[in-house]
Amino acid sequence: MIGPIISSGLVSHAWDNIFAVFIGMGFGFALESSGFSSSRKIIGTFFGYDFVVVKVFFTAAIVASMGLLYLSYLGLVDFSQLYIQPTFLTSAIVGGIIMGIGFSMGGFCPGTSLCAAAVGRLDGLVFFGGMFLGVFLFSESFPIFENMYYSGSQGAKMINSAFGISPELFTFFLVLAAVGMFFGAAWVQKKVKKVEY
Amino acid sequence: MERKYTILAVLLIVLALGLVVLQKKKELKETDPKSLLMAIAEKSRFLSADQVTHRIIENDPTLMLIDLRPTDQFKKFTLPGSINIQPDSLLSKGTLELLNQPGKDKVLYGNSDLTAEKAWVLGTRLSISRLYILKGGLNEWYNTIIKPGDVSATASSADLDLVSFRNAARQFFTGAGKTSDATDDSKSYEKVNVLRKAPAAKSGGGC
Amino acid sequence: MKKIKNDGSFYVNPYLGGVMLGTVLLLSFYISGRGLGASGAVKNTVAATVNVIAPQHVEKSAYYCQFAGGDKKPMNNWLVYEVLGVLAGAFISGIVFNRLKLKVEHSPKITSRRRLWFALGGGLVFGFGAQLARGCTSGAALSGMAVLSYGGYITMVAIFGTAFVVAWIFRKNWI
Repeated sequence: MIGPIISSGLVSHAWDNIFAVFIGMGFGFALESSGFSSSRKIIGTFFGYDFVVVKVFFTAAIVASMGLLYLSYLGLVDFSQLYIQPTFLTSAIVGGIIMGIGFSMGGFCPGTSLCAAAVGRLDGLVFFGGMFLGVFLFSESFPIFENMYYSGSQGAKMINSAFGISPELFTFFLVLAAVGMFFGAAWVQKKVKKVEY
Repeated sequence: MERKYTILAVLLIVLALGLVVLQKKKELKETDPKSLLMAIAEKSRFLSADQVTHRIIENDPTLMLIDLRPTDQFKKFTLPGSINIQPDSLLSKGTLELLNQPGKDKVLYGNSDLTAEKAWVLGTRLSISRLYILKGGLNEWYNTIIKPGDVSATASSADLDLVSFRNAARQFFTGAGKTSDATDDSKSYEKVNVLRKAPAAKSGGGC
Repeated sequence: MKKIKNDGSFYVNPYLGGVMLGTVLLLSFYISGRGLGASGAVKNTVAATVNVIAPQHVEKSAYYCQFAGGDKKPMNNWLVYEVLGVLAGAFISGIVFNRLKLKVEHSPKITSRRRLWFALGGGLVFGFGAQLARGCTSGAALSGMAVLSYGGYITMVAIFGTAFVVAWIFRKNWI
């Protein structure tokens, strides 16, 4: 079957939401079991005592992008049907910076806070609640940010085209960078004083 | 511990290198003239109007209709689900990517066979698989499906089946059950004014 | 891999976790053609709530009307179902690895109350930023990276870069 299965029309759209629940379960299980329900474990990345975020995040990114490219090579995935996040440069950068501040303050990102809440971490639950306020605030003040929200539009641009290389070559460099980062992380972690949490 | 990770790291890099190597093969190869000649001699590239109609009605997801006529004609009338490609943009990168989907049957058509034949030869030369031509183009399709022929008294039962299928198909395309006479023609054209829908299933936003 | 903590809980090897996460992400793209997400469900819930309380307001707002109001059903959405799945999946993992426990995690140097205020503030800021950047760490950064989206990489660098710099300001909360 050529993926994505849902848009190929072979499986009815009603199944999409059922798959969503199972995909979400896999997502939640993977996050929680790697320790993303603990804010101090997550934030350890920035102090060098625990690099679990870097390891999990980049392993997942390279597994998924290599997998997609292999599947696309085998003709099993129609890359043009995949949802590629459109690039709005200004809002991506400013939004990312704001999220970075929230990340350091709260110790979670939305997905991990949900996992933390699911296993009874109250800080995760409160973080998740705070997000509702943040979203509400943004929606209400949208007219102020509307210009920024739509500025710097570059469509569904792919990063390899920004460098002028093929997706495969970019992924190869990404893997090299990630592996370098993994060994670097292990080296730093040895040097840094352990933090009990 | 260290060693285990080194092995995994090497494995990852080899897999990534594999991608870079394989990518070269993915580029379009040209078919050599001999096999191209053989493919031209063979007639299996033609699909009849009935075959194509069948698949349109059944909503066959592997069917990809490619309308090679000028845009204004395409806007006026086209087969449902068709994509309009101008013959001069056939070799553009976007078009080749669109055509290079091994899982789909690409059916080319113009008003007659002429443009479709040329496009077919070009595409086949670029090793695009499952490329077909709608026999007789849109004119023949119209004559077969929309304009019904007379049923002779001596028609066999297979012929009768075909006629009733065409009647049903006509209903599907025009919404009209009765044979449309000449004055009505333009009207039924209007009704069938089906443009290509945007890829509806392309899923929405991420986070 | 054997990293059993003194309370008996247990984390899988981070690389194994990463392969798991990557496989789920790959499946998500293979099945539905889209990546994972989390903040999108919050957005839809907020829009749905506002739609119930003040439907006229939704019609007027240039932001809400993208996904609520009229005959749009913001709660009947792929992301909402997926997030429900995340809750279930994390809960199952909590049972399996013996981590189910009500508590507030914080540095011994600060009080629980302070931690919760910071969590609320962090959530608020994060939620705001996620709307501006059209996605959070999972929706924009992780899923974006999987399909090599330019914006996804930019967002990822912005999030981790800023968090790394800002972490120093909040260091007392963590170590």
